[in-house]
Amino acid sequence: MRWLLKRGWMYAAMVAVSAFALFPVYWVVITSLKPRSEIYTRTPDLWPSDPQWDQYPRVLGEGHVGRALLNSLIVASGTMVICLLVSAGAAYVLARYRVRITRILLILVLMTQMFPLVVLVIPLFVTMRKAGLLGTYWSLIITYLAFSVPLAIWVMRGFVLSIPEELEHAARIDGATRIGAMWRVVLPLAAPGLAVTAVLSFLEGWKEFLLALTFINDEDRKTVPLVLQSFVGRGDTDWGAVMATSVLYTLPVAIVFVLARKHLMTARTAGAVKG
Amino acid sequence: MVIARRLVSRLTLPVLLLLPALVIIAGLVGYPLVRTVYLSFTDTGLGELIYGGSTWVGLENFKEVFADEHLRTSLINTVVFGTACVVGTMVLGFCVALLLNQRLRGNLFFGIAVLLPWAVPALAASAIWKWLFDARYGFVNWALVNVGFDGFQDYAWFADRESAYVAIFVTVVWQSFPFVALSLLAGLQTIPKETLQAAAVDGANAFQRFRLVTLPLLRPIVAVLVIFSTIWDFKIFDQVYVMAAGVPDRSADTAAVAAYREGFALSHYGLGSAVAVVLFLILLAFALIYVRLVGREGEFS
Repeated sequence: MRWLLKRGWMYAAMVAVSAFALFPVYWVVITSLKPRSEIYTRTPDLWPSDPQWDQYPRVLGEGHVGRALLNSLIVASGTMVICLLVSAGAAYVLARYRVRITRILLILVLMTQMFPLVVLVIPLFVTMRKAGLLGTYWSLIITYLAFSVPLAIWVMRGFVLSIPEELEHAARIDGATRIGAMWRVVLPLAAPGLAVTAVLSFLEGWKEFLLALTFINDEDRKTVPLVLQSFVGRGDTDWGAVMATSVLYTLPVAIVFVLARKHLMTARTAGAVKG
Repeated sequence: MVIARRLVSRLTLPVLLLLPALVIIAGLVGYPLVRTVYLSFTDTGLGELIYGGSTWVGLENFKEVFADEHLRTSLINTVVFGTACVVGTMVLGFCVALLLNQRLRGNLFFGIAVLLPWAVPALAASAIWKWLFDARYGFVNWALVNVGFDGFQDYAWFADRESAYVAIFVTVVWQSFPFVALSLLAGLQTIPKETLQAAAVDGANAFQRFRLVTLPLLRPIVAVLVIFSTIWDFKIFDQVYVMAAGVPDRSADTAAVAAYREGFALSHYGLGSAVAVVLFLILLAFALIYVRLVGREGEFS
């Protein structure tokens, strides 16, 4: 009885928080499986009487959702690859070379993560227009680097710092050049860090909305957030389609998060909490 | 001469490695930032934006930001609504972290359940909660009516500012409490058990142990999380742009949304830039506090 009093309310709180966290996700999934008549009803069922999957082929085929998923995939992958190439070296330098300018650069990198995008969007729009890139994948990939590169540098630097410098010295004594030591010693040890950074920079591109809204008008180039926004913005929203799209859009991210949660937390705490 | 050459060769590699990142940060963050500050002092419209030729108007745009009712409201909205989101996120996040730290049965499931909202992209979260708060067919109204609040039959959440903010508040807290909770949990786990046991031996009860041992030890992390949340919630764009779009007179716009619309919907790029600059200055203050805090803990040294 005492145990129940002491622990019982904790379990109750745990159930309540889990419900708050999970119920919306559950509701999205079952809405996407309901036929129209069960979605537009005043007495919604907590379980679809007859789950139907035809919403998914419908949004992928008819709507622009299939195309948008492909667009988002292209843009996010492009951002990820270029971001890794650019930031790996910079992260290494900022971890290993401790001169006064390092500190200034680090503060710079940190501050750029905090800028509201809306401060940058008007000049970026003009630049992209002048370069003739408006409406292209490149306009998004290039501008996404503005915030993915500082984040990537910050996270990767944390990983490089955790690799003992002595290992590199040992390799140098054995005759390796500085680049050789980086390539053979640091890079393999930093592989988990690279993977985490790859995931984070991919997600930056996958989730971004404001710049895509500004640069992309063409239906064929719209990324998933834009398609969702145009769905929700209409008066007669087709909620079944919106929910199926949300599921398809979130699923890859959710899988990565659950699988890599330990690493993501380390990266995020390295980047955000410890500094 | 020899020393100079050795210095050059020692510096070549770091400079080469840093250069691409520096070019990107300078070109995609530095230049646009300076440019926006410049635009905020001009009367740039669409024509001037593309073909040039805008005139310098001094502080006119900034006077307008505080004189115009819609823009002034958007700044107040940002501060009030943003602060509410920070408080909501921190309180819920703290409670969840303390619960997770109890290592109850089912902790693994609980941890994953709590993680999930964090994985949902902002646009998907906005769509999901807009559906849950739908006036006619939404789950929230149905549930409220069923537990006896008949006034919520067909209640239109997005018909005025306050109720729209309730819905957006729930969305934002739902998305951001996992990060706060998991970060605080990481902090809680670094507190040595011995310290807490020692306090218990000295006769401190659970509440005293929390207030006098746990809380002071967590203070650095809490400070950082509050600053981060403030920055995120003050610059909020996606959720408000999507969910508050139907609110009459756009009275629920936050500063970021108002700046964007002033520019791209109304072609007042100068005025829009001024709103953005004001928002930027507010966030810069928080960012500087953050840098000081982190610097003091010696992360840079």
